[in-house]
Amino acid sequence: MAPSSSRNHQREFSLPPTVAGPADVSRLLRELEAIDNSLLQLGLRSGGGSVKMPKTSKLMDQLIQHNELNLLHKDDRQTLKQYLGAIHDKAPVIHMSFGTDPSPAFMEKLVVWLRREIHPLLLLTTGLQPTIGAGCIVRTTNKYFDLSLRQDFAGKRQLLLDKLKGLEPGQ
Amino acid sequence: MAGYGDPGITNGGSNNMTIWWLVLIMATLGSGGLAFIWLLVRIANAGAPKNERHPIDSIREAADQDVEHIFNADFREELRNRGRLHFEKIIGENAMFLQQDLRLTTSQLNDYMKTEITNKLKEEFNKYEQSIMDAKQLAIESIQKTNAAIDEQRQLLSQQIQKEILAEKQQTVKRFEANMTDIVNHYVLAAVGNQIDLSDQLEYILGELEANKQAIIEDINSGA
Repeated sequence: MAPSSSRNHQREFSLPPTVAGPADVSRLLRELEAIDNSLLQLGLRSGGGSVKMPKTSKLMDQLIQHNELNLLHKDDRQTLKQYLGAIHDKAPVIHMSFGTDPSPAFMEKLVVWLRREIHPLLLLTTGLQPTIGAGCIVRTTNKYFDLSLRQDFAGKRQLLLDKLKGLEPGQ
Repeated sequence: MAGYGDPGITNGGSNNMTIWWLVLIMATLGSGGLAFIWLLVRIANAGAPKNERHPIDSIREAADQDVEHIFNADFREELRNRGRLHFEKIIGENAMFLQQDLRLTTSQLNDYMKTEITNKLKEEFNKYEQSIMDAKQLAIESIQKTNAAIDEQRQLLSQQIQKEILAEKQQTVKRFEANMTDIVNHYVLAAVGNQIDLSDQLEYILGELEANKQAIIEDINSGA
């Protein structure tokens, strides 16, 4: 997914950890579209009246800083739009369910690990499942990984039984 | 017809005599017949009472007349009074005797009644006591049978309850063992669920992800 005609960016495009899921990408795409339209209108109104520049969100700021882009440049905007569109359409998405709502810091660390170990453009959606307790449940395109404490207990069921019966493991 | 006394006839005198003789004979025969008839009547009435007064009767009538003369109305009234007094005396004595006898009879009757009633009551009480004893014995036997049946039922029930408790216990243990993971998980959540933060779980989650990393990568690379 390296941009082929970027003016200033020969390196790989990447997402900041704060851009975690498809919803964030969609939001960035809409925001980028609004900026593009604003700048287009600004260019068309060269005659004179004051034009209010659209404010960028924190997420957009982080994204452009992370990729060293300048949204005043049309090529950067176009490149970013292509990247975001490609990511929105083709980036792998996994879903993770937790027992409680994850904090932003937790999400950031988790996304960093996922993009470092699994896929650099991985998108993550989260869900809430109070019965999990501890751990999480991961759902990829075709698979389901129960990484919860309950599953861990199930894997160690014999150990629990041995403990309940007062036996040492292996007896 | 000429009679025997007719003088005009020679043979008249003899004829009269003959007639007289005939009359006499006839009279004799007649009286003889009458006597015979009387005799027959006497013989025929020999069993019948005689209406003729007997001399004894006459004597008796005379004696009666003398008695009437001796026992006149005053004497009879006196005798009647004496008789009445004597009769009253006898009646009084008899009444007294009757009263005494009645009292004696009453006393004896009371004693007899007391004795009979007492005996009857004793007999009835004995029967009643015997009936009560029989009923008591029957009740005791019934209670004993009931107790035995209750003990048997209790033992059966106890055994059944013990079996059911054991089965329930085994079932509970099986259910516990089958759902032990959920139970322990639920317990852990209830005990420390609020104290477990996701940040604290990050290392565990990353460890689990690391363990399944290859499978996740393969699934992602294989595409949708």
